[in-house]
Amino acid sequence: MPRPRVAIFDFAGCEGCQLQIVNLEEALLDLLRVVDVVEWREAMSEQSDVFDIAVVEGAITRLEDEERLKRIRQKAPVLVALGSCASSGGLNKLKNRMAMSEARRLVYGRDGGVSRLDTAPVKAVSEVVKVDYLVRGCPIDRREFSYVVRCLALGREPFIPGYPVCVECRIRENACRWQEGEICLGPLTRAGCGAACPAQGAACLGCRGTCDDANLEGMASVLAQYGKSREELESRLAVFLDPDGKGVSHA
Amino acid sequence: MTVKQMDPASLNGWVDGLLLNRTVIGPVQKGDKFVFESLSRASDLRLDYDTTLLPPKKFLLPSREILLTFRGDSHYASQAPPDPFVLLGVHPYDVAAIRQMDRVFSEKQVDTHYMARRGACTLVALDAQAVSPNNFAGCMGTATVREGWDLLFSRVGGAYLAEAATEKGESLLRSAGLLADAAPGQLEERDRLWESNRQAMRRHVLHCSPQDLPGLLSRNYDHPLWQERAERCFSCGACNVVCPTCYCFDVQDEVDWSLECGSRCRAWDGCLLRDFASVAGGHNFRRHSAERYRHRYYRKAKYLPEMTGEIACVGCGRCVDACVARTANPVEVYNTLLGD
Ligand code: SF4
Ligand code: SF4
Ligand code: SF4
Ligand code: SF4
Repeated sequence: MPRPRVAIFDFAGCEGCQLQIVNLEEALLDLLRVVDVVEWREAMSEQSDVFDIAVVEGAITRLEDEERLKRIRQKAPVLVALGSCASSGGLNKLKNRMAMSEARRLVYGRDGGVSRLDTAPVKAVSEVVKVDYLVRGCPIDRREFSYVVRCLALGREPFIPGYPVCVECRIRENACRWQEGEICLGPLTRAGCGAACPAQGAACLGCRGTCDDANLEGMASVLAQYGKSREELESRLAVFLDPDGKGVSHA
Repeated sequence: MTVKQMDPASLNGWVDGLLLNRTVIGPVQKGDKFVFESLSRASDLRLDYDTTLLPPKKFLLPSREILLTFRGDSHYASQAPPDPFVLLGVHPYDVAAIRQMDRVFSEKQVDTHYMARRGACTLVALDAQAVSPNNFAGCMGTATVREGWDLLFSRVGGAYLAEAATEKGESLLRSAGLLADAAPGQLEERDRLWESNRQAMRRHVLHCSPQDLPGLLSRNYDHPLWQERAERCFSCGACNVVCPTCYCFDVQDEVDWSLECGSRCRAWDGCLLRDFASVAGGHNFRRHSAERYRHRYYRKAKYLPEMTGEIACVGCGRCVDACVARTANPVEVYNTLLGD
């Protein structure tokens, strides 16, 4: 069986997810025995127009990026969105909450006056082209990424949990952040990270996006029992689950 | 065998002795809660715990376990048999739950993985010395147990009483050396401890006898409560994960980087999770959270009891502790159905 050819592309993001791939260390050599990486700007100079799997990191923030992404999609039999920026737009979408001039000023300060620095409203990869697989998270979970790569190499459907982070969290016997007086988005967020944040004593911020059938209204209705307000919940949702303020997305 | 007595210091010394040549699992502190953990020294034990985050089932049915390894199409069955271990300090309601699991995994089809672990386990029960906030074992008849354990410890005054019920329990206790018999007054005190635990473990009071539950549920399949209580349910499965009588699992294959070798694992599953009742082809028998929410109570207090004669809820209260939505609560559910 020939190794599938993989090309990795980046758009707007911190490149932290690609860094997670680099940080696979030993497993990176295993990975390279299973797939043939033909283009990866962060790690090599070669480029290629022929590939079986396109891995796309980052959110889409400019019209020319949309065009580039569409060209990639045309060439890619399979397209994988890598990380929360690609999967849902991620933190980049906070920009969509404000006027472009304000965003420019926030990012570039006094130099932000030039409209040349204007960008389009942020989109997730799936808002521009069809996405076949999502590897969620900010950053991605290395184990999950490796698992998805092996599944794709075998032509198998990867199993990605549809259930909330709480499952993994309870299995690890973490202290529940709600009982510690915090708003934890674990009940709304897709598992797969092993409840990484609650295990470190921090509430889940929802970086993996919503779980299947996330019950947002259910959470709103229990806030009062914990002495929390809707505003406090919304300020948490704004980080990953509802960055552009248009409602919780279901990626 | 007659009931013996032991002072707390000799109990600790005995456990440290056991630790020299075997695994001993017992309750220890984690933050302001407790967990069962493999001990490194007896002084970490917290025999005064109220309840643990997860029940001890995690040592009999691990949350994830390898069933077999394979290469290509050939299977390499069997994991190495488990080494003998002592499971120490198990409260009566959890002993009752383990007895139920034993039945599930040994009747009809024997589950060799579970039974191998169970066979390797010496079960040392402990009458509770503190009651957790939502415990209602007293209403379910599981605040004390007279069977299911190899050895039972009960704290009376400044001493522990030790009673062995099986050869395994006797031989374990023999390793403690010569012990004095319990005095008649101490046995009476143990009776009083049992009575007081039966009363104290009623943090929620069920307004009927557990035997009435299957009938109660039969009459209330379409009660509005299921929808109402499920409206805030996150389908997060916390109530399944922490429940000592939930035993459902899912089997998955994983391959390593050779793309040929791998392992078949089973991992806990839960009937509250959306995809639990999905079958090949995509059909889901319980698509709506209210159907799943209701199913859990039917399973515990109707379907299983109709097969086994026992309510599959021991009243540990862990699901109530763990439900962020504060909607999992067996006693509230049953009392509402009773019209109270
Ligand atoms: S800490 Fe968060 S993820 Fe963990 S059980 Fe509580 S709500 Fe769920
Ligand atoms: S716990 Fe939540 S925020 Fe943390 S890694 Fe997991 S999904 Fe992301
Ligand atoms: S009843 Fe509570 S613990 Fe159970 S799935 Fe629903 S929200 Fe989670
Ligand atoms: S249903 Fe709840 S109270 Fe009953 S045994 Fe399970 S976790 Fe304990």
